[in-house]
Amino acid sequence: MPDDLINIAGVKEDFKNSLASAKTFNELDEVRVKFTGKKGALTLLLRSLGKLAPEERKETGQKLNLLRDEIEHDLTTAATKIRAAENEKLELDSRIDVTLTPKNDFNGAFHPVMQTMHEIMNIMQGLGYSVALGPEIEEDFYNFECLNIPKWHPARDMQDTFYLPDGKLLRTHTSPVQVHSMLEFGAPLRIICPGKVFRRDNDTTHSPMFNQMEGLLIDRDVSFSVLKGTMAEMLNAFFGRSLKYRFRASYFPFTEPSMELDIECVKCSGHDENCRVCHGTGWLEVAGMGMVHPEVIKAGKIDPEIYNGFAFGIGLDRMAMLKYGINDLRLLFNGDISFLQSGF
Amino acid sequence: MYVSLELLKNFIELEPEITPEDLAERLTFSGSEVESIIKPAEKLSGVVAARIDSIEKHPTENNLSVVNLNTGTGEYTCVTAAKNIKKGDMIFYARAGSILPNGQELGIKEFGGVQSNGMMLSAAELNLADIDDPTGLLILPSSARPGDDAKNLYHIGDIILDVSITPNRGDLLSLLGMAREIKGLYPKAVLKMPEWLRPVKQDREWSEKFNSISIPDNGCYAYRLGLATNAVMKSSPLTAKIDLVHMGMRPIVNAVDVTNYIMLMLGQPLHAFDLNTLPEREITVRAAHDGETMLTLDGKERLLTQKDMLITSGGQAVAIAGVMGGELTGINDDTKTIVIESASFSPVRVGHTSRRLGINSEAAFRFSRTVDPALSKTALMAASVLMRDWCGAEINYRPMSAENNIAEPEPVKLTRKKLSVYLSFDNMNAAAKILEGFGIKYLSGNNDEMRFMPPTWRPDIKIEEDLIEEIGRFNGYNDAPNKLPGELPRRADIGAEMSCAGFIRNTLISRGYSEIVTYSFLPEDFSEKLLLDKNDIRSNPIMIANPISRDQISMRTTLVYGLLSALKNTLASGWREPVRIFEQGRIFLKPDNDLSAPNSHFEPNHLAGLIFNGTDNRSIWNDRAQDFYDIKSDLSALIKLRGYNPEFKAGHENFTHSGQTAFIIVDGVKVGFVARLKLALEQELNVEGVYIFEIDTEFLKDIKKRPFAPVSQFPASTRDISILVERDKNSEQVIDDIKTSLAEDGNNKILDSIRLFDVYSGKGIPENSRSLAFTITYRSRESTLKDNEVDLIHMALREKLKFKGYTIR
Ligand SMILES: [Zn+2]
Repeated sequence: MPDDLINIAGVKEDFKNSLASAKTFNELDEVRVKFTGKKGALTLLLRSLGKLAPEERKETGQKLNLLRDEIEHDLTTAATKIRAAENEKLELDSRIDVTLTPKNDFNGAFHPVMQTMHEIMNIMQGLGYSVALGPEIEEDFYNFECLNIPKWHPARDMQDTFYLPDGKLLRTHTSPVQVHSMLEFGAPLRIICPGKVFRRDNDTTHSPMFNQMEGLLIDRDVSFSVLKGTMAEMLNAFFGRSLKYRFRASYFPFTEPSMELDIECVKCSGHDENCRVCHGTGWLEVAGMGMVHPEVIKAGKIDPEIYNGFAFGIGLDRMAMLKYGINDLRLLFNGDISFLQSGF
Repeated sequence: MYVSLELLKNFIELEPEITPEDLAERLTFSGSEVESIIKPAEKLSGVVAARIDSIEKHPTENNLSVVNLNTGTGEYTCVTAAKNIKKGDMIFYARAGSILPNGQELGIKEFGGVQSNGMMLSAAELNLADIDDPTGLLILPSSARPGDDAKNLYHIGDIILDVSITPNRGDLLSLLGMAREIKGLYPKAVLKMPEWLRPVKQDREWSEKFNSISIPDNGCYAYRLGLATNAVMKSSPLTAKIDLVHMGMRPIVNAVDVTNYIMLMLGQPLHAFDLNTLPEREITVRAAHDGETMLTLDGKERLLTQKDMLITSGGQAVAIAGVMGGELTGINDDTKTIVIESASFSPVRVGHTSRRLGINSEAAFRFSRTVDPALSKTALMAASVLMRDWCGAEINYRPMSAENNIAEPEPVKLTRKKLSVYLSFDNMNAAAKILEGFGIKYLSGNNDEMRFMPPTWRPDIKIEEDLIEEIGRFNGYNDAPNKLPGELPRRADIGAEMSCAGFIRNTLISRGYSEIVTYSFLPEDFSEKLLLDKNDIRSNPIMIANPISRDQISMRTTLVYGLLSALKNTLASGWREPVRIFEQGRIFLKPDNDLSAPNSHFEPNHLAGLIFNGTDNRSIWNDRAQDFYDIKSDLSALIKLRGYNPEFKAGHENFTHSGQTAFIIVDGVKVGFVARLKLALEQELNVEGVYIFEIDTEFLKDIKKRPFAPVSQFPASTRDISILVERDKNSEQVIDDIKTSLAEDGNNKILDSIRLFDVYSGKGIPENSRSLAFTITYRSRESTLKDNEVDLIHMALREKLKFKGYTIR
């Protein structure tokens, strides 16, 4: 079979050259027609196969098939490249300033006290505590009487109270929920009660409304050590580090013995005599607590001969102020979002 | 309680190496917080006693004198304007270089050609203005020796602890009590007794006739009277006056100072009567009658009840027992015969009266915290001794007394088991020693259980836990091991209310809202401000009986007021950007708005939000001004995330925009509103475009679960339809009509969704009309819908709608 009749190598070389010079889809189409069109070089070759002797036809046919596959593949590849180049140009032409402000650029912000409340709730849930909530308008009985604070008791002076005309009051602490919960769930018991409390007090360090979280654990043979461990665990988890802390003996009518908890100053750790947070003492008072007074357990209709427990109350506003470095209590409740948006 | 360390030495001897700072820390950790250590004379230096050797007129200045002073080691010249001095007087002298308590350093000054070296001091310059006439110099007792340092004289150099005493420890409101406490805390300390506490013989019959004391009210445990005759009313000794000032009281006159001094030293409130002003020579302590009145010595008329106790004489009230004396029977300048009252009253009774009348006198403060009933006798005798020493009185008369039953302390047991459970400490012998230190006597027992007798001054010790606390506060709480509780009693649960609150805040914060907390109070005029109707339940809040101010006079009935205040405060702080805020919290409602309903109220949880474009609403995104539909989308998304399908129906609130207010209906119940603020209210805030919502969130506590419906596997077909409607026909109504039209033909089964994609009015649309364009998706659960099938259904729908009066475009 003479080579001039079936010049495969020539067609192939011709195709490669044509393809290399095709830069647009139109040029690529011309190449396609020139080789694979009705009168294309490859088509003509395939047609001339019939003229070959049968013994040659098979071998040449295989070669031509390979050539056809190669041409088609090359054409597809070339098309992809051209598309990519054209797209690239389109994309560059439609470039934007990616640094512009986003649409709907509203920055949501949490309230530090609410954030603190939810964080501590989650920590305490991890320690097995459930949330119990009580009314903010309370009866004298739950707020005072059953917490071992009768009407005449001077301990009432510790909590200046808002009263309502019907003799009810705004709860002065979250402690009333202790008795509510004991009555509802009995022993053993592990609850926390976060919420608003109210005292008739308004100056730079006292707000008539503030937030507390009460904790109560009732079980058999409860030790102060468990209270101590619980407080340490909670504070470390909340502040995200191991803080120094100390307990001072104190007095609350509804706990016996009673203590207060100071933590190491989160601002200066006691290294700054002029620290505005701790006034140079190095310590911050954050919670009051103690072993639940047997009279209170009795008020909860639980037998104090069998069960005892502990209760604690943390000031959530204070905790929030410490964690987020807020120095003015009045910023918390005036709703000014420039404060909330200042970032914590 | 101000504790003078100088006077404390009369009652206890501490180891010398214990500094005031050590003592303060020990007291603080054991329950009596020392707020501060006051050193009134810390800066004082160089001031000494000096004798006036001569006084001459100033050569040129008429109102000045030139004084020559002798300090024992030198002679000095001082110019003074004081007139109350004479040759030979002893005064305090601060020569040049001395420093006064306020830090002022003295120098040499010239007055009309005479050099004055430093100055002679008045009481005021020693920060003791209360002890003397501030216009003259302080004249010292003649026993003063020239050259003695002021710091070492008359307790001027005293150090004072300001101790905060908890309400259960009335016994610590005296130096005697503090000494006993400190003895407990420092076992090596030794208790002492001051000279004036030693018993004297008082056995003579009263020189003045006095009939009787009767105490029919058993709230009076004991009532004792002592007699001091021939007393001279004058100023108290200098040291005593300084002591009183250091312990927070103003010296008045010797007889009154004696009663105050004894109260500060021993804790027993006393009262001094002028015998001759008593209406009759008789005392009765009885319950007041309801409606009885009395003029107290602060000049106020007091209305009494039968819970109050009165001291009467001849049927006339002379004092409210344990609370405050009357105006008529007090000591006056001419008093010669003093009757000293020392009594013991029920803390409950005094507590009630003092709280009800709002009188927190020193006496009431102590009696309501309990005063050792055993003290009244001792204190009366001690007061007599000081009446003798300070007033020159005769005091040999036997006191008169009347007593009711006084409750004796009862034994309290301590078990090793409870002690070790509570404090992880079980050394019973050590425990007994600690208790003994605090005056709590061991009675009997063994290593597992002991009985103790609290002293009369510790009525706070009643139960085993009280004893455990004594041991705990002695040992301190910081060395206890840290433990965690064991097995859980039940699954720990945040609860639906707080979980929902958490969900709401997470959702809204991620949609760009800031979480705010505002006061739960409302001001007096909030309902006018919110334009609320009188009969709106929100106009009748629960009032506070004793509010602090008119701005916080009642409990909130809506969160809207707080949101608007927040917006106001935000704008006031200079914020110009867009605002998105929300608040969650309780509102407070009376049941069914019944103003008289007793003892019940509602505290539903509410959520309210507000958006505003900002006072500077220029933006690179010109079409991004927030409006009604932005706040609606946030609220709608929030509700849908809990599984509910909110409906929005045109509604009305007095404080919202008449044309842009929707009620939110969930499962047929109205849960709140979303609206633009009323223009009048926007104008008041000087802003434009404020959108708000408020909902009751009770229904969101439960997540609504919907049965699982698998998605159809067959392809959908869509058809668009454009409908001309009058302006006030809202889109929900049209959608409802499309749905019913399809349902009437039984084609609702293949209705997949209806979506409004265009609202148009203007060119080509008749006045007061809108064109609404919907795309309707049809999809069967059973088969692939053929095009001609869908065409037929859609054509039928068009006809149905035309039949219902719509114009299909
Ligand atoms: Zn600090």
